[in-house]
Amino acid sequence: MSLLQVEKMTHYFGGLKAVYNYNLQIDPGQIKGLIGPNGAGKSTIFNLITGIYKPTEGDIRLEGKSIVGYKPHQVAAMGLGRTFQNMQLWRHMTVLEHVKMARYSKLRYGLCGAFFGTAKRRREEAESDEKAHYFLNMFGVDPLADQNIFNLPYGAQRRVEMARAMATEPKVLFLDEPTAGMNPEELGRMVATIRQVHEELGLAIFLIEHRLRVVMELCESIQTLVFGEIIAEGTPEEIRSNPKVIDAYLGKDVVE
Amino acid sequence: MTKTDKKHFFSRLFSGIPVLGWLLGVLIAVLLERYLGEALAEILGLPKIPVLFGFVIMLKKPALIPGSLAFVILIYILPIWIIARLSAPATNAAAGFLVRRSVGLSAMIHLALLYACIHIWSDISAYRVLALKLTLISIMLTLSLNVVNGYMGEFSCSHPGFMALGAYVCSIFTVGPFINDRFFDQAILPLFLAPYIFPVALIFGGLAAAAGALFVAIPSFRTRGDYLAIISLAFMFIVKSLIENLEFVGGPRGLGGQPDLASLPTVFIWTVLCVWIINNFVRSTLGKAMNAVRDDELAAAAMTVNTRNTKMTAFLFAAFWAGVAGGLFAHVLRYVNPGTFGVQNLAEVLAMVYFGGLNSVYGSIVGAVSLNLLGEALRPLELFKWIIIPLLLILVMIFRPKGLVAFKEFDPRRVLQPKLKSE
Amino acid sequence: MVFFFQNMINALQWGSFYALIALGYSMVYSILMLFNFAHGDIFMVGAYIGFGVSTGLIALTATGVIALPNWLILVLTILFSMFLTSLVGMLVERIGYRPLREAPRASAAITGLMIGIILETGNLALLGARRVSFPSLIETTTYNLGGVYITNKKIMIVVVSLAIMLALDQFIRRSKWGMAIRAMAFDYLVVPLMGISINTIARMTFAIGSALAAVAGILFGMAYPVLDPYMGILFGWKAFVAAILGGRGSIMGACLAGFLLGFIEIFVAMIFPSTLRDLIAYSIIMLILTFRPHGFFGEPYSAQLRL
Repeated sequence: MSLLQVEKMTHYFGGLKAVYNYNLQIDPGQIKGLIGPNGAGKSTIFNLITGIYKPTEGDIRLEGKSIVGYKPHQVAAMGLGRTFQNMQLWRHMTVLEHVKMARYSKLRYGLCGAFFGTAKRRREEAESDEKAHYFLNMFGVDPLADQNIFNLPYGAQRRVEMARAMATEPKVLFLDEPTAGMNPEELGRMVATIRQVHEELGLAIFLIEHRLRVVMELCESIQTLVFGEIIAEGTPEEIRSNPKVIDAYLGKDVVE
Repeated sequence: MTKTDKKHFFSRLFSGIPVLGWLLGVLIAVLLERYLGEALAEILGLPKIPVLFGFVIMLKKPALIPGSLAFVILIYILPIWIIARLSAPATNAAAGFLVRRSVGLSAMIHLALLYACIHIWSDISAYRVLALKLTLISIMLTLSLNVVNGYMGEFSCSHPGFMALGAYVCSIFTVGPFINDRFFDQAILPLFLAPYIFPVALIFGGLAAAAGALFVAIPSFRTRGDYLAIISLAFMFIVKSLIENLEFVGGPRGLGGQPDLASLPTVFIWTVLCVWIINNFVRSTLGKAMNAVRDDELAAAAMTVNTRNTKMTAFLFAAFWAGVAGGLFAHVLRYVNPGTFGVQNLAEVLAMVYFGGLNSVYGSIVGAVSLNLLGEALRPLELFKWIIIPLLLILVMIFRPKGLVAFKEFDPRRVLQPKLKSE
Repeated sequence: MVFFFQNMINALQWGSFYALIALGYSMVYSILMLFNFAHGDIFMVGAYIGFGVSTGLIALTATGVIALPNWLILVLTILFSMFLTSLVGMLVERIGYRPLREAPRASAAITGLMIGIILETGNLALLGARRVSFPSLIETTTYNLGGVYITNKKIMIVVVSLAIMLALDQFIRRSKWGMAIRAMAFDYLVVPLMGISINTIARMTFAIGSALAAVAGILFGMAYPVLDPYMGILFGWKAFVAAILGGRGSIMGACLAGFLLGFIEIFVAMIFPSTLRDLIAYSIIMLILTFRPHGFFGEPYSAQLRL
């Protein structure tokens, strides 16, 4: 049984067909990529799977259990962690608070603990602190823990965002253009980090990317999305040589 | 060069003194005032002890300005500073010892000292007691509104409504059984039981306000910002109008005859409780979820934060404390009418929140205390008070748009710990 | 039925005031994304300016300096007051809002509240607590249309309000400035790119809004000739509700919501005891907003407070 399975997912915005008959299968420890030109519906697919939109048709199963109709926070707590294309960070919070916030669903002390500062709360918060530092360390941003997030350089913010997604302890990590807007040096570090996370934790990763170089380097299997439909799926080599992909996508963007 | 020197000089004057030291200084000062105040006032040619640090008297009779200033310096400023400065080594050691033993114990001792200070200070006149009680209630109101408007980032206008609900429900529980009143039947319980029922009545008042908050919290799932502001404003008017139409609580004439239950220690304890619980809440991850929802709701949900619960908790929690504050308010004045809980009240509370600073427990305390103090101090100016205070607020908004002490975490440990000389 | 039509006329008149004031709110709200809580008090200031101008003109006529017929006095009063009140509006913008353009929106709302208090208190300090009565500029004539009594004042109030709303609508649709205003309501940052300064637009917005409030003030003074410094508060808050109810960026929405509020209030008072007016009116508003959370004509724009 695969870890995450999407079957015949279709979604309409009003009368507009955004995603049509989309299928996905991610096995434990697999890195999959999703490429496609702008406006193809890549982020929509992320939003559908993570529960922000409800698909018009189709089924999404995580470890065999359907997750269609659950709220985004429930889906996240079930094990789908994600990052955002434009890094949706919280303006007034520190780096550490960002990562701790992702532990929200793991906290059990409840309102009583929050109001009265019980021993249970102190214990859980300390535990959560420890975990947060662990994830910050993993992404090399631990020294910045007490900084406000907006004092950080762009690359570091991306890393914090990934640390935050990791702190939800996902079964599958969804990365929405993790290298968008990065310079080559930051990009190299990011690719190395993703690979490291994947290798150390054996985490399944689903990745939207604009830069083909990154996808080709990281992914075992790649899907190509055009106008909401998958036109090709296969290994990097297969994708690279697929005439439909070249036609729809690489033809214009082959320089990257 | 001189400027930095000066700054250095001043910071040296005040640095290295722990809160414990300042409290000790204030305690000595208020004791001095209590025992020597009358005599000193007579020597300085003042009719009586200046009731509010000389502000009122200076504005009323400019001829007495030198005398009042001398009084304030001799009774307050010098003793406080000298005691705090001289005792700094001892108080630092004591504060260090206490914090190491237990933050809770240390906080208790500090609060006891603080209470002793304000008790002795306010013992001089009934006016001081009243002003203090109202200031403490303002702190509760401001802080609870800050939970929604600052921490949650909504612009809620319903606080007077929650306060009114709390005030009336709480009053019903005390006036009803204990007072032989023309609105209710004979008193069914003896009055000496009232102080024991009072906390329960306050909690019921708070719960009533929280129940009312559902009308604002549920729409907040679907809409935010401006439309929610209108919903909350409409809620405030609805509550006011509802009370005006309920004859059994006196309608527009108001409800009076509350037993004298809100003594200074009672109000003080409730205020401390409120500050403590709210501060605990906003510092927990559950409380910080409010900030996450405010800054980016989508990201909060993607990080497993239950956004609906968070919103609901924020509104209900804030309303609860507004209700408790309303209940206390009703028993301090021992009379409430629906007119109290209108736009005027809303403007005051909003002003205190935004003046003090959003997202900050310090800010709310600073805002509530300073605006209350200012309001009392400028009372002799009558009408012009209402020009000076708004002008001041506009200036603060222009130069510090987020308020005086915004986005600052209130960590009791850091407040209570000894202050070392080296910065 | 006659009773119904009678109330209909009253509601139209009552709604005109709300609609005119709501327009001022709505313009500032749509264009600058601000709550101008001082607007209700600008309405009050407009009424007082109208009072001052008309009393002055009547005095001039009485002493024989210039001889003006009553209708001309009314027209001049409206024009002068619009001009003077728009100056007040621009001053409010300059002092209270321009320095706060980058600040959180809530801070600007607080400034507005405070300016409102200053205007009220300033008025009280200048003119004292006594109420002044607005001079009656036109003779009241009552027409009887099949049992429905209509005064010429009511007709005038409704007609003048509607004419002004129409004029504003045309101005915003047709003129170059109107286009800039619409552009700014659509995207705050695009206007400087067009070579028009935000300050100019902001000033103009406040000026127009205040001029409309002045008209509302004068018309109100003609219908209910007693003015007092706090008359703006209740009207202001209600018109504010109407403006937001209309929806962001919708001039007509604000008008419609203003009239709707007038109708709700008058008809509630017709059916229920008048003490229940606010209770029912606001409950209806809450219901509307619960089911149409973005107002009548507003786009589903989740207006968050910029913190």
